[in-house]
Formats: sequence, structure tokens, C-alpha cells
Amino acid sequence: MDKDFAKRRRRELIVAFCLAVIAALVPLFVKDVYVQNVMVLTLMYAALSQSWNILSGYCGQISLGHALYFGLGAYTTALLFTKFGVLPWFGMLAGGVISALIAMALGYPCFRLRGHYFVIATIVIAEIGLLLIQNWEWAGAALGIDIPVRGDSWLKFQFTRSKLPYFYFALALACVAWFVTWWLEDSKWGYWWRAVKDNPDAAESLGVVVFNSKMGAAAVSAFLVAVGGSFYAQFVSYIDPESVMGFQFSLLMALPAVLGGIGTLWGPLLGAVILIPLTELTRSFIGGSGRGVDLIVYGTLIVLISLALPRGLVSLFARPKFFWRKAAVR
Amino acid sequence: MTALLETRGVWQRFGGLVANSDVSISVGRGEIVGLIGPNGAGKSTLFNLIAGVLPPTQGSIWFDGEDVTRLPAAERCQRGIGRTFQVVKSFETMTVIDNVIVGALIRNTVMRVARRKAYEVLEFCGLAARANVLASDLVPSEKRRLEVARALATEPKLLLLDEVLTGLTPVEAKTGVELVRKVRDTGVTVLMVEHVMEIVMPLVDRAIVLDLGKVLVEGKPNEVVRDPKVITAYLGDRHAVGA
Repeated sequence: MDKDFAKRRRRELIVAFCLAVIAALVPLFVKDVYVQNVMVLTLMYAALSQSWNILSGYCGQISLGHALYFGLGAYTTALLFTKFGVLPWFGMLAGGVISALIAMALGYPCFRLRGHYFVIATIVIAEIGLLLIQNWEWAGAALGIDIPVRGDSWLKFQFTRSKLPYFYFALALACVAWFVTWWLEDSKWGYWWRAVKDNPDAAESLGVVVFNSKMGAAAVSAFLVAVGGSFYAQFVSYIDPESVMGFQFSLLMALPAVLGGIGTLWGPLLGAVILIPLTELTRSFIGGSGRGVDLIVYGTLIVLISLALPRGLVSLFARPKFFWRKAAVR
Repeated sequence: MTALLETRGVWQRFGGLVANSDVSISVGRGEIVGLIGPNGAGKSTLFNLIAGVLPPTQGSIWFDGEDVTRLPAAERCQRGIGRTFQVVKSFETMTVIDNVIVGALIRNTVMRVARRKAYEVLEFCGLAARANVLASDLVPSEKRRLEVARALATEPKLLLLDEVLTGLTPVEAKTGVELVRKVRDTGVTVLMVEHVMEIVMPLVDRAIVLDLGKVLVEGKPNEVVRDPKVITAYLGDRHAVGA
């Protein structure tokens, strides 16, 4: 029984490794820049959604304000680079740490709220953050920041001629977010978080300090999302408040996890792989006039999934295995 | 030898309602103590005060020679108070073993050790066969046992059982009683709130009867059930005469 569990854990690692290798080989065959761009975004959202899943999926504190941390990461990196010449790698780290600290500062009052009230608070706080940045002259206000091009290099994390370095970074980020989740799943925190999600009173009676568990989840989640934001700033090389802190980012972090399976290890990845290319395709197919059509696509998908597979798409994978096992017994 | 648990002049008021008034009870090491009384007697409130769900309005609670009156539930668990809930509160999306691991983690930081410990507790409680089932798929009597298993995994010195035997079939209740005895035999002190007198009385060493928030009678179970005051509290004045 102990062995079965260890075997399952090892199998997950192997599957993830194989998927990562396959993903790393894809650019050898796919040279189209547009498709590569979609792949970068897919991997980035997989990483973001995986990070969102730590707080909202495992710990059950549904946040629709993660755009705040995404934007903080992007702005910290961009500001440090343009104003002080700090390399984006340090900016990334700084953005992560700042976001984690802010997440805990915000969690201090907000984690006393339960259910819908918490969700509303996250939306409102992210909007406040957006308004603050929009009115902050030094940080470019509504105009945003143009990240100056200083030539292609890994040191400055800028690449104008090829998307590939971004692709590999996004892949690495997705791997890290997945691995952190995998590792946390079988740690004290992982069990505490799920206990807090299912029943905080019972968790408290078993020695779980509910408040601290939520704070821990918020910090890890915000850190990883901010790293994603830093990456995005480098990737698009121009940021403005709406394009890195808008509400749609909060949605785009939540939806893949919800679609794939909230609070599961593979859900966010699966959801992102389906949702993000679909979004990009509808967007480019319909063109600039169709703003909002992608939202209709999300909405329809979510309704269908919650009706047919309330535990997300990953539950499709659980079922056939069950049948095989039954067949084998007979 | 000092008592393991002691409440000293505990009061709990909810607005104008007095749920516990001047309750002083003590539970000795290795005892099984039954906390009984009619509906609304203040049993559950006293229970929650001991478990640390809320602090008492007045008075103090002592556990293992230490004043724990102001400690939150999680810290009391750390000190050695384990509890179950009257309305079961399983972690529904987690498997049975994972439910118990949550409890085991407070004493074991290494995951492999916690997992093994949880499995041992499940075997002790007769749930090992259901280890990998989701808690939401358990039948009610199994859920009750899971509550006990989870609390036992925290390695408590005092186990608070809130109506674990209520609402079970006679056969299930009997295995439940055996489980409680087995728990006591491992050296755990048990304080149990129960409704069903005929099940509790043979099990407990001592019974404390609460009525209208006060301690009414305290003593050996067979003495307590014959006490006219207890009969009055349960059945009303008319029956007390007949007794």
C-alpha cells in the first residue's frame, strides 16, 4: 500500500518528464512563428494556472485577482530594468518576493472572509491595484513602459530574432510550477491545504493552523505568478496597466484549472493546452472586430464541463483506467 | 495524582442565554467519563469550550497541569486534546488514508512515517480495507469511525467523543463501544457526550449529568441513573415519584 503510493508518485514524475521532452522537441518541427507564439502563451498560462491552483485549487481560496501578482511581476521587472538597469533575472526574483509579501499582507485581512466574500475581495483589490498603476506617473501611468531593446542575450533576457528562447523559458517555468505542485502535494502543506479547503473546523481540531496554511499557499502562488508576469513583460517588451493587470488575466489563470480539473495535479496543464490555442485561434480567426468572442467560447466550455464533468477533464483519464482494471480482474 | 482535565467555574453566555453556568468538572487519567443530559443541557457547549472552539465567558480550563483557557483549537490538539464532531466533518474530497494523515502530521513531520502511522490507526479502527476510498463514499457508521481514527492519529492524551454512538444500528453501536474500550486500553482518557443512556452507561467509569447548563449529578453510572434528580431532568416531575 505504501509501495503503491510511491509507485504512483514516481509514475507521475516519469510522465511529466516525457511530456517535457516531447514539448522541447516540438520547435524542431514547427517553424511557424505564429504557432510558436501560441505555444509560448500556452506554456505560460499552464504555469500561471498551475500556480493559481495552489491557492485556489488545493487550499480552496478562490482568487479572481491574481492579475495583480502577474502585473506586479511585470512592472517590477520592467521598472527595475528601465529605471535602474537591473537585469530582468533579478527583477523576476524581486517581483516574486514583492508579490509574495503583498499576497500575505492582503491575506491578513482577507483570509478571515469565507467563500464568495473572499472572491469579491480579490476582484476588488486587483482592480484597485490596476487603478493605482494607471495613475502612477513615475511608472508610466496609463501609457505603460516600453522596454528598450539592448540586443539579444540571455543575460538581459531579450530576444528579437527568435521566439525559441522564450519558448524554452516558458517550458521551464511550466515544469517548475508543475514540479512545485507535485512536491507540495505529498508534503505537510499539501495535506493541510486540502484539509482547509474541505473543512476548516475539522482541520483546526487536528492541529492545522488554518490561517497560516492559507498564508503559505498565497505566498507560493503569488511568487510563481509574478515570475510568469516578469517573463511576459520580457516576452512582449511593452507593458501597460490594462495589458498585464486587466481582469482577463485573472480569468485566464482560473479557467484552465477549472476546465482541466481544479485542485488536481494535471488539470491546469490539460486545461491550458485546450483553452489557450482555442482562444488564440478564435481571436485571430475573427480578428479585431470580435473582441469578446473568446469570452463566449470560455463561457460555453465552462458550462459544458461543469454539467458533464464537474471534476474537470482529468476525470476522463481516471475512468478508463478503472475499466481496464475491472477487465483485468475478470 | 492531578486530574488530566479540569474545568474551574466555567461560564458560557450567548447574549442572554446561559449555556454553561459555573461548571466545574474533572477527568482523571485513564478514565472513560460520560457527559450526559437532556437536550439543551449545555453538553455540546462545554465540549466546544474544552476543545477550544471558543473561549469561555468566565472561568478556566486546565489540561495536564496547564491553563489552556485561551489556547486555540489547533494548539490544544498539539497539547494532546483530540476530538470528533457530532455532525461528521470528513474531508470529503480526500481519501480515507489522506484524512487520517492530516491528523498524523502533527506528530510526524516525515511523510513516509506519517503515512505509516495513519495506516496503523486505520487498522486499529477497522478501516484499513477502505484506506483508498474517498471519504465521501463511506457509509455513515464508517464516517464516524473515520472521525475517531483522525483524532487518534494526533496521538491525544484526551479524546473527546461527541455522540459517536448515536444513530447507529445496535450492531454498529456494539463495535463502536468495543472501539472506545480498545482506545482506553491504549492509555487514552476518554470524555464522551452521549444521548443513548443504555449504550453509554455500561461503558463509562463515571457519568456527569448536565441540566440547564449546570452539573446536576456526578457519580457511578448505576447510581446516576437511579438518582431522582436525573429522572426528573429527563422525564419530568411526574416520573420521579414512581422511581
